[in-house]
Amino acid sequence: MTRMKQILVALLLAAGGPALAAGAGVQPLGAQQVAQLVAPPAHGERIIMFWALSCAYCEPNMEALAKLQRTHAQDIEFVTVATDDIRHYGADIDQRLQDAGMAGYPAWAYTEATPQRLNFLIDPEWGGETPRTLVVLADGRRSAVSGRLTAAELGQLWPLPDARH
Amino acid sequence: MSLRTLWRGGWVLLCCAPIVAAAHAGDMNMEGHMAAADTTAAALGASAAFAADGTLWVATVADGRVVLRHSVDYGKTLSAPVAVAAQRQDIDSFGENHPDVAVGRDGVLYVTWVEKLPQKWASRIWFVRSTDGGRHFSSPIQVHRDTRALTHSFDVLAVDGTGQPVVAWIDARDHVASMKHYKMDDPRAYKGLAVYYTWSADGGRTFAPERKLMDHSCECCRLAAAREPGGSVALFFRGVYGDNIRDHAFAVLPTDGAAPQPQRATFNGWQVAACPEQGPGLAIGADGVRHAVWYEGKGGPHIWYGQLDPGHAPQHVLQIGGPGAGHADVAADGRTVWLTWNQVSAAGYELKLRVSHDGGVNFAAPEALAQSAAAVYSPQLLVRDGRAYVAWNTAEGFRLVAVEPQR
Repeated sequence: MTRMKQILVALLLAAGGPALAAGAGVQPLGAQQVAQLVAPPAHGERIIMFWALSCAYCEPNMEALAKLQRTHAQDIEFVTVATDDIRHYGADIDQRLQDAGMAGYPAWAYTEATPQRLNFLIDPEWGGETPRTLVVLADGRRSAVSGRLTAAELGQLWPLPDARH
Repeated sequence: MSLRTLWRGGWVLLCCAPIVAAAHAGDMNMEGHMAAADTTAAALGASAAFAADGTLWVATVADGRVVLRHSVDYGKTLSAPVAVAAQRQDIDSFGENHPDVAVGRDGVLYVTWVEKLPQKWASRIWFVRSTDGGRHFSSPIQVHRDTRALTHSFDVLAVDGTGQPVVAWIDARDHVASMKHYKMDDPRAYKGLAVYYTWSADGGRTFAPERKLMDHSCECCRLAAAREPGGSVALFFRGVYGDNIRDHAFAVLPTDGAAPQPQRATFNGWQVAACPEQGPGLAIGADGVRHAVWYEGKGGPHIWYGQLDPGHAPQHVLQIGGPGAGHADVAADGRTVWLTWNQVSAAGYELKLRVSHDGGVNFAAPEALAQSAAAVYSPQLLVRDGRAYVAWNTAEGFRLVAVEPQR
């Protein structure tokens, strides 16, 4: 991503009034931040992608979601969350995000030694596998899917199926 | 996951999911923003083993080294930690990676761990032994001959019927060879990684050249090992079948030159291009019954118990956990079978137990053995003199939880 695009993405995210600040480095996510993470966006939808340093399926999924966000920048917020402990792996997480071109997107990482409790608090129907894509709509509806998304699945993330004719 | 499932099932399931956050904010690290590696926030990966004399040995990672502690009072008190190697390394502790300790004949201690290398996903597996009860350790040796900077990880250490150490692990060499010819999305690209193993015939002084056990294993799930009645070590682990179906395989590890014969042993059909980061558990009874526990996420999280019948679906299958359950283990002794797992709720972790007294046909209702508000690692079941204990490493310290005998 060029610097100009990064700035553009940051501006668009800021213009949408998201609760999550962009471009401020990786933020620690504990139980107290979960409500903020999954709160409905003011408009459109928020796509939250959970990933792990050990996961080879995650970066391609991340890049595909970032591309989708750029195509629908007015309607989609995109946020990444690493399930590795930021206290141990903060530098690795930051580097991996930069390598994947994610510098313009808000990023969180767990601040717990093991991820099981935060996984559950975020989504009880999730067993912790990554990538995990969670979509939160402005009206509060949520949907989630595990695994690298297919092109067809990506196409269903926006515009929403019930808005189609 | 079909599109219909994604949108129809997904919306219905999750639109009303309660948000149960912020119930326990006391352990937040608000200062943790992009901090350098914090060694006080120790990785929780651990393993434990009883020696024949009843001494409990516990392996964890501290400040770049594997350390052993021991207990002669069933975990009530632990010795000071003793580092098993002089040199500090970047020891791999993400996900289910943890150091392993096992006890051979005459109380010889075997220890393995995974060193993370600077290259992406690269790692190697080290081994030491102690013949004087943990006072001195041999110089670390790499268990695999392959010296390339690629994944050799998630190792499991077991002891065969003659007291010899056997080590199996997840290995990327076949995947890396394939990536020279095919991109990741090419249907011809190598699926998953592979499981390799090696063994010693001289008590851990040297190891045989590694052998491939099976192509196409899952990448990030721990392997489970147990000893067959005949003394061979057997392995139960997550594979990749067909187009990313994450069912499990069972195999005995031959150390006599015979060809390994892995067979598919679970058939849930969970198809996902993902890292489950949740491997299975295995215990083999003196009668040869292969008791197993495993996770799969088809249509939501499920933890299963079953008795493996390699090549066919498992017998006596029972769902022991759903949402919030994870990282189960199993042990067996005579007709008694124990199952344990972590159960999360908004209040924190519970260590759960189910017991069968008829060889795993029927299990009593789940009970809570212990609680923790702090983070916990996967529980590990140990059996000593017919009694079960759960080794449970928590962010507040290591605990050995005794299972009360049948009342």
